[in-house]
Amino acid sequence: MSINKVTRRKALKLGVAASVLPLVHIRTAGAAGQVSIALWDHWVGQGNDVMKKQIAAFAEKNKVEVKADLIPSASGQILMVENAEAQAKAGHDIYALSVWEAHNHVDDLEPVDDVVGRLIAKYGKTNDAVEYLCKVKGHWLAVPSSSGTQTKGPEGRISILRDAAGLDVVKMFPGSGTTCPGLDAWTWDAHLKAAEACAKVGKNFGIGLGTTSDSVDFAGSLFAAYGAELVNAKGDITVRSDAVREVLEYAQRLVKLLPKDAVSYDDASNNRALISGQSALIFNPPSPWAVALKDAPAVAADTWHFPAPAGPKGRFLPYLPYMWGIWKFAKNKTAAKELLEYLMQRENVEARENATIGFDIPPFVSMLDFKIWETAEPPKGTLWNYPNHPWHKQVAHIAAMPAPPEIAVQIYNQGTMPTMFAKLLSGQSVNDVMAWAENELESFKRA
Amino acid sequence: MSGAVATAGAPSRPRRRASSQRGRAWALWGSYAALVVFVFVFLVPPFYMVATSLKSDADIAAEVGNPWLVHHPTLQNFIDLFMMPTFRGYFINSVMVTAVTVSVSMVISVLAAFGLTRLGFKGSAMLASSVFLTYLIPDSLLFIPLFQVVRALGLINNLWCLALLYPTLAVPFCTWIMIGYFSSIPKELDEVALIDGAGYLRMLWSIFIPVALPGIIAATIFAFTVSWGEFLYPIAYLYSSDQKVLTVGIAGDLIRGDVFQWGKIMAGCVVAAAPPIVIYAFLMDYYIAGLTAGATKG
Amino acid sequence: MADRSAVAVSLPPHRMVRRSFMRRLLERRSTVALLMCSPLFLLIAGLVVYPAFYALYLAMLNRRMTQFVGLDNFAFLLKRDTFRLVIFQSCLFAVSSVVLKSFLGFVLAHLMSNIPSGRQRIWRGLLLVPWVIPLALSTLGWWWLFDPSYSAFNYLLNALGIASVPWLGVAWPARLCMITVNVWFGTSFFMIMYLAALKSVPEQLYEAAAIDGAGTFQKMFYVTVPMIRNVISVTVLYSLIVTFANFDIVRILTNGGPESKTHVFATYAFQVGIQSGDIPLGASVSLFMFPLLAVFAYFVLRNVTRRGKEMTV
Repeated sequence: MSINKVTRRKALKLGVAASVLPLVHIRTAGAAGQVSIALWDHWVGQGNDVMKKQIAAFAEKNKVEVKADLIPSASGQILMVENAEAQAKAGHDIYALSVWEAHNHVDDLEPVDDVVGRLIAKYGKTNDAVEYLCKVKGHWLAVPSSSGTQTKGPEGRISILRDAAGLDVVKMFPGSGTTCPGLDAWTWDAHLKAAEACAKVGKNFGIGLGTTSDSVDFAGSLFAAYGAELVNAKGDITVRSDAVREVLEYAQRLVKLLPKDAVSYDDASNNRALISGQSALIFNPPSPWAVALKDAPAVAADTWHFPAPAGPKGRFLPYLPYMWGIWKFAKNKTAAKELLEYLMQRENVEARENATIGFDIPPFVSMLDFKIWETAEPPKGTLWNYPNHPWHKQVAHIAAMPAPPEIAVQIYNQGTMPTMFAKLLSGQSVNDVMAWAENELESFKRA
Repeated sequence: MSGAVATAGAPSRPRRRASSQRGRAWALWGSYAALVVFVFVFLVPPFYMVATSLKSDADIAAEVGNPWLVHHPTLQNFIDLFMMPTFRGYFINSVMVTAVTVSVSMVISVLAAFGLTRLGFKGSAMLASSVFLTYLIPDSLLFIPLFQVVRALGLINNLWCLALLYPTLAVPFCTWIMIGYFSSIPKELDEVALIDGAGYLRMLWSIFIPVALPGIIAATIFAFTVSWGEFLYPIAYLYSSDQKVLTVGIAGDLIRGDVFQWGKIMAGCVVAAAPPIVIYAFLMDYYIAGLTAGATKG
Repeated sequence: MADRSAVAVSLPPHRMVRRSFMRRLLERRSTVALLMCSPLFLLIAGLVVYPAFYALYLAMLNRRMTQFVGLDNFAFLLKRDTFRLVIFQSCLFAVSSVVLKSFLGFVLAHLMSNIPSGRQRIWRGLLLVPWVIPLALSTLGWWWLFDPSYSAFNYLLNALGIASVPWLGVAWPARLCMITVNVWFGTSFFMIMYLAALKSVPEQLYEAAAIDGAGTFQKMFYVTVPMIRNVISVTVLYSLIVTFANFDIVRILTNGGPESKTHVFATYAFQVGIQSGDIPLGASVSLFMFPLLAVFAYFVLRNVTRRGKEMTV
């Protein structure tokens, strides 16, 4: 593949992301069957184009007619269509499911142990977060995909972090190689100090306290690093623990350093905070960097991606997987499985990876050596530490894990953790917040 | 009512006349002044939307300077929008769906209103008012069970499912408007028509519809507004680009994950708002006249 | 009656008998009336009533939809603090929006009718702009105005030396912002409805009232309001129902935050039902206001029908 290099011109094209041929309907002469797939409408249009080409190639090779629809996540569309289909027991054969959706549709999904089994045999293991979200009672209910899968580590301004906070992130987390000299020093305490220093020069960390996923993922990473669980793996409410108290005390100091409107942040607010140059650091996949390449080149050239801070219990990287599930009511499960296996072949994943400038994270550790993360620029190497490399010693984590998923999904989607932080900001005491959370969690245990 | 008015105080007349003329002038200028304030407040967001649509992405991203001013005006957003092959499709889809929805809604509500008011049957009065109760079930709930119905009709991801669903949002109110209008037409008119030997349908077609035209226009405009702006049904049922309508297309194509293309989104708003504004500009007088006649009845 | 006509159609006993019977039936006013209403019935039965009952059934299932639990979901909701906040916020949002819209619409309609009718067109046109922009899009515009990092409103405040307001970041300002957006959007509709109604009030009534010495406010309360009461009732009813069901404004502006203090029924139902995989509970949230609003609507509509009859007589 020769498109590893991200040129400015290529980035310019990102802006007009709507793809030219959004509906794929491939008819092959003598098609032996038909299969339909609902894909996440990738925010990078070129990713969609490559995906469509791959699907066309599959259709050609297997003499199958494939109907592919790209469904945007904007305004919750991908979720609404998904739920309507699940209710009506009709729709696409394959559906792109976000984070919690396999668990939300346990009874509607066809196990895909065979497909995932073969993929794991070929490409090695995935990670804990993927297993937690895709595997139910020992069975894979969805094929972990790369399209849309992202991590949300810190994404910071090189110059501001260096000048205001004394953190040389490029040295600490170099843009190539397999060592990170600054890893051990990068703790949540160091994070707090840096946040304080940057706030002093008016470049607050753009961390949100809303209820959308960026806010939740940040909070989840912080909770996990202290070993704080709102609900434990057995399903008991464990709010009143020293670990949770520790997190809240930490948060009490942190929330004062955040932008004034942090509670009303949504997933786009932190992007803007970084792109506009108002913020020294956000927790996000590299979409703001990619947008800044076009809209604010100076900011982009000064942006670096690096691992999450560590706490007493380890380093936890927010990891949001997308997956592909096959509905039980699907009409052509065989072809569906073949298609998914085909799409997750290394060369196909890499081709899409190149098209999306490294945004997508493959679910298999063995695929983390794609060249794109090394070559993407400016600055060169900025994406090298975006995927969760083994030497980062990070645990891929989703907020509220390891609570039983039917409870965790509510903690996640109702933003219980960032809401706790928001309550601290509004002046409530740690005890008040714990009491509130306890009461709130009680209602999530509904069977 | 008249009793209450009669008991109100009655100052001497000559003085009242002079003061009432001055009062009227005051009322006129006062009204203008108040209207200016209202118009100003109402137009702040649209103004800001237009201003944003004229800014470049880089200007918007920089977040410096006075946001109310356009420092480097550009039509690039509009150009990009119209160059998007999908966007024109959305626009045409919106126009087609709206046209069909409005026609379907009007046929249904005119027939029903006529039947309920001019012919009537046992319980028609009660029915006439209970049609309104359909609004009580929000579309945010209905879209899930409706998926089955729409699918049974083979209309999932088909633009024309909207021509079926939108009337549920427009028809009750349109029927109410038409009921009001039809009841305002004197009873003698049907008698004349019946003596003439016309059947009911012909009576409706050749006598009542021409007379009720203002009411029909009013209801049409209402149906138009509802179906042009509806967001939830298209988002639940339409996902391929060749089937989407304007509202959903703008949101889906220009909000990419966590990336908002504000300039183009706002340009899209401006373009989406243009057709209704034009229609209202031309048909407003009929709209008001149509609502007026039925206003006291309903 | 509907049954009889159905039977007549489905049975083909004796041709002549049937034809004359059919003809007689078709000539009856009420049969024709029913036929004319049938598209309406079909539409509502198929696309509202049937799915509504299905939704009601959904609302009575457990989370995994494996068990019928009756009204347990509603009981469960009532016990939750967060949901009580949702009730409060929904009522606050809907009632205050509708009251404000109605009041401002009434004022605007009067202002409008004060000026010569030839001049009205331009003013009406300008005032209708909010109503004609699709709400989901104009709310995005508002959100952009309130935007946390770069609020255009805050820019103006700062220029006047006033500190920035975290519009959507604190519960009460956020609530007010939502109401503002809704009022902005809906007032024009009220204005048009009221303006039309005002024109229907015979001028003689005002003249008579003037002769009796009624002042502006007396005219308003003893002539205008009683004459346009039906329009007020129906417009308020319609708007109240629709505002209670509003989804776009809250979803876009705050998504229920901060601290879940701005959720309304629709957004909370979405979060619980669609996002958190508990469709039955989401359906219960959506249906929660139904009984109350239905009773309210019933009385309003009964009065409207009654008054309508009096007027016609």
